[in-house]
Amino acid sequence: MRGDKKTKLLAKQLFKLSLVNGQVSPEQVAGVLAYVEKSAPRHSLALLKLYQQAIVTELAKSHALVEHAGPVSDATLHLIAGAMTKKYQRVVTASAKPNAKLLAGLRVRIGSDVYESTVAGQLATLSNAV
Amino acid sequence: MSTVVEQIEQQIAKLSSKAVKKNTGTIRAVADGVAKLDGLSDVMYNEMVQFPGGAIGIALNLEADEVGCVVLGDVSQLKEGDEVQTTGKLLSVPVGKALLGRVVDALGRPVDGKGPIDATESYPVEKIAPGIMVRKSVNQPLFTGIMAIDSMIPIGRGQRELIIGDRGTGKTTICIDTIINQARINKVGLASGDKAFRPVYSIYVAVGQKQSNVVRTINSLEAAGALEYTVIVAATAGDNPANQYLAPFSGASIGEWFMENGMDALIVYDDLSKHAVAYRQISLILKRPSGREAYPGDVFYLHSRLLERAARLDGKGSLTALPVIETQAGDVSAYIPTNVISITDGQIFLETDLFNQGIRPAVSVGLSVSRVGSSAQIKVTKQVGGKLKGELAQFRELAAFAQFGSDLDPKTKAQLDRGSRIVELFKQPQLNPLSIEMQAAVLWALQKSYFDSIEVKSVVAAANSFKEYLTSRKDALLTKIRTEAKLTDEIEAGLKASADEWKGTFAAK
Repeated sequence: MRGDKKTKLLAKQLFKLSLVNGQVSPEQVAGVLAYVEKSAPRHSLALLKLYQQAIVTELAKSHALVEHAGPVSDATLHLIAGAMTKKYQRVVTASAKPNAKLLAGLRVRIGSDVYESTVAGQLATLSNAV
Repeated sequence: MSTVVEQIEQQIAKLSSKAVKKNTGTIRAVADGVAKLDGLSDVMYNEMVQFPGGAIGIALNLEADEVGCVVLGDVSQLKEGDEVQTTGKLLSVPVGKALLGRVVDALGRPVDGKGPIDATESYPVEKIAPGIMVRKSVNQPLFTGIMAIDSMIPIGRGQRELIIGDRGTGKTTICIDTIINQARINKVGLASGDKAFRPVYSIYVAVGQKQSNVVRTINSLEAAGALEYTVIVAATAGDNPANQYLAPFSGASIGEWFMENGMDALIVYDDLSKHAVAYRQISLILKRPSGREAYPGDVFYLHSRLLERAARLDGKGSLTALPVIETQAGDVSAYIPTNVISITDGQIFLETDLFNQGIRPAVSVGLSVSRVGSSAQIKVTKQVGGKLKGELAQFRELAAFAQFGSDLDPKTKAQLDRGSRIVELFKQPQLNPLSIEMQAAVLWALQKSYFDSIEVKSVVAAANSFKEYLTSRKDALLTKIRTEAKLTDEIEAGLKASADEWKGTFAAK
């Protein structure tokens, strides 16, 4: 659902209010939700969806989702989180998600960037090249 | 031996562990050939993006929360949530001589069933036009083979000359004739072994046209032996608007390769009215603000950046552009026609009334102009046709007045007689361009009053007879006119002798 210009602007303002030192603050988010519930602005549903999208996008920038086929140790996750924190110059957390379709290797997704070192990815590249 | 194997294994290990970084997004919505995407934080303007299933798109709208992208290919397989990734590349098309004789789509892929194109180079579709310092003034002629144009509205290599007129007035025919004439000149020039000869390669871009028309054009070029010097870029009415929008730019890139590599090329954009309509459609779907006639604000820039790519470069080649614009009821003051008129270096205006009167090509002398003028004419054309435009304009004016009364003084009557003969002489059947030496010979005969004693209705037959006579008996004279490119005393004497001899045989019939 897409809101009108005013709704978009309000969602953007609420999103900015939810950040503390460039990070999403749970307290601020709770405050924003309480405000929306109380004041019931026009197009609340559209507003909340836009707000949610902005928060999800922002949170994804600080979280590395590590998809793997095979075991991944906590130490590896810790290493990945450290490397991403250094690269993106913000605190990045990492979590693991098993994905058998990758065949072997790791795929790390952070925001809209994907770092891929999987057999499935290499096979796909090969198939595109042929 | 084992060391070598180890080295290879280490190399493989290095490669296989290398992580590939991709910038991805997801499809939020797809409609009317346009996709709205989330993510793609690193995408650049005009960058190619890869959709699942092999389809590609071009990022045209970069907004704070989404990316608007036109999809070039089948959209039916795309769905919400599909992953899209950036490629880091601008859209490119294959270029080079391997494309000659081929029919390609807006992405440079062959559509003629003649197999893959063996092109080694590719050029980006969007390219900044050559700057001021690298350009050279236009002073070399590009002969269309149409007498009315070559003598009165000359086109030079590197010029942009607009062909404008209502539907069915012969715009495409002029372009096809010009392409055929280039092929004929190329064949003669290359066969002569003249090292200074510069062939002109042609690119015909069909935008939003019926497929049957494109097939007809291809057949005409093939029958005339011109296809081997021509590349056809087809984005027909059945193609999606994104392809129609891109086709002229792809054609320009193909033409630029010839120009950059010291060759001369001619590009026909048939037509830019439909191109503007395709761009309007994309812009409206992308929710860009609309302006006059619902066209987006940058429709002028769309055509100006395209046509500015046609140029004559210092020390290199040239790219001559013949954009086509279709008017509605002869209205040249509509939005797109006025835009393109102001961008180009002149226009050839085709009138429906003239066409219906049987004057074909239906070139309106009053409204047609070439801003390059006589600097793009060879001396012989200037010598024999320098005054024609003035004479014809005077004739039109006098003809309008003469309608009111029959009592005319002898001078006016002579001007009217001469004018009506010039009009007859300029009638030319389609797909039959005339060589410049033949044009010069016919115009010389006109100038020397050889057609004055012939009845107006017989002028066309007389001119054809004269051309036939020269082709069959005076080939050496025609070659001399072509090579010397000016009227010398010797050539003039030869023409006089030939015309006298012909007149005798024609009068006797």
